[in-house]
Amino acid sequence: MEKPLIMVSSVTYAMKGKQLLNNAGIRCEIERNPKRDIANGCGYSLYVPKNTDEAEKILKENNIKIIGRAERSNQK
Amino acid sequence: MIYLDNSATTYPKPLKVRQAVANAMQMSANPGRSGHDLALKSSEQIFLTRKAAADFFHFSKEENVIFTLNCTVAINIVLKGILKSGDHVVVSSLEHNAVMRPLEKLTQKGISYSVAEVFPCDNDKTVNSFRNAINGKTKLIMCTHASNVWGIKLPIERIAALAHEYGVLFAVDSAQSAGIVPIELDNSDIDFLCIAGHKGIYGPMGTGMLIISSNTIPDTLIEGGTGTGSISFKQPDELPERFESGTPNYSGIVGLRAGMDFVKNQKIETISKHEFMLIKYLYKELKKIPKVKLYLPEPDENYFVPILSFNIDGMDSENVSAILNKNGIAVRAGLQCSPMAHKMMGTLETGAVRISPSVFTKLSDINYLVSVIKKI
Repeated sequence: MEKPLIMVSSVTYAMKGKQLLNNAGIRCEIERNPKRDIANGCGYSLYVPKNTDEAEKILKENNIKIIGRAERSNQK
Repeated sequence: MIYLDNSATTYPKPLKVRQAVANAMQMSANPGRSGHDLALKSSEQIFLTRKAAADFFHFSKEENVIFTLNCTVAINIVLKGILKSGDHVVVSSLEHNAVMRPLEKLTQKGISYSVAEVFPCDNDKTVNSFRNAINGKTKLIMCTHASNVWGIKLPIERIAALAHEYGVLFAVDSAQSAGIVPIELDNSDIDFLCIAGHKGIYGPMGTGMLIISSNTIPDTLIEGGTGTGSISFKQPDELPERFESGTPNYSGIVGLRAGMDFVKNQKIETISKHEFMLIKYLYKELKKIPKVKLYLPEPDENYFVPILSFNIDGMDSENVSAILNKNGIAVRAGLQCSPMAHKMMGTLETGAVRISPSVFTKLSDINYLVSVIKKI
């Protein structure tokens, strides 16, 4: 599964998620969602270039509310 | 000035708190809104404070730490967000108006309350008093951890257990205890902890917290922008954003973390021991002065926090406070926003002079206070 951006429902979850993933040895960065998501509007994502599926699993196990996955904007 | 009004707000603030606030004002952007580096850095500072608060109160869910303007706002969120028409609440006989005024307002919406009498130094009788006040409609017990007038400490762990025995939610006003008495949320039955950030935690004024340990989440008092889910007019359910609409007090929150770090480094037990040493000494000295009226036994750690209130025979407490002020001593007189606590002790007419030390108070400060009182 591609789509390295994991969209989460709040900036707090983004911060907590980043810490969880870093503690698990998975590199990630917090970004704003690449474009306004029609369903949710603006928000925050975790950019996880490697092991994204594993990262998503860790986040779910720690009750981080995930809105969805997305491709990263080409400009970044 | 000798400052002995630390129950109102601690002063001075530790150097690291002042530096943290100044640094935060020098470099910050609106946290939780934009995606540029400075905004994300500011968001991280807020998150780190949430984590520090969770750690400070031995609680595992940092997202359930909600920043508020003060302890009063936290109390209002609990009372107005939980209670519905027909519900009943139990409070103690020592409550501050932060609890009583919102409750009184809620009576207009069909909510009722009972007052459980507190028996100083007799926790069995106090817990029984709470038990007797519970009825079939009781939804919530809310009580102060410690009286802001008399320093009387309530057995909150026992009251929490009692509440859950009856399937009742339990909320604590820790305005006078946080930073002085250890509170371990993960090992307790407390559902809602309301906290002042600027008193025993030594943060800036304009900071407070609500920690929600319960699965029952209050309704909101304030709705608005959170920087997320913006397509919808519906307020998000996620904590803490559900309760944090609008731009937060960023520099205050960063300063609050520095305050918690300060207390952790000093150790709560050490701060408490120091303040009790001063208050016990003051009690013994005041006891020797015939015109000074004391209302309770010598305070000890089991039943009190380090606060001492007194009066001078034939004088209004505000007059005593004014004389102390002229002599360079800052104290709080009057009713301290707690008429119930004064009614309990028969001091509604005179009020009382309250002495509340901090970690920075010296024995020489107390000696000077005693010398001035002797001359009144």
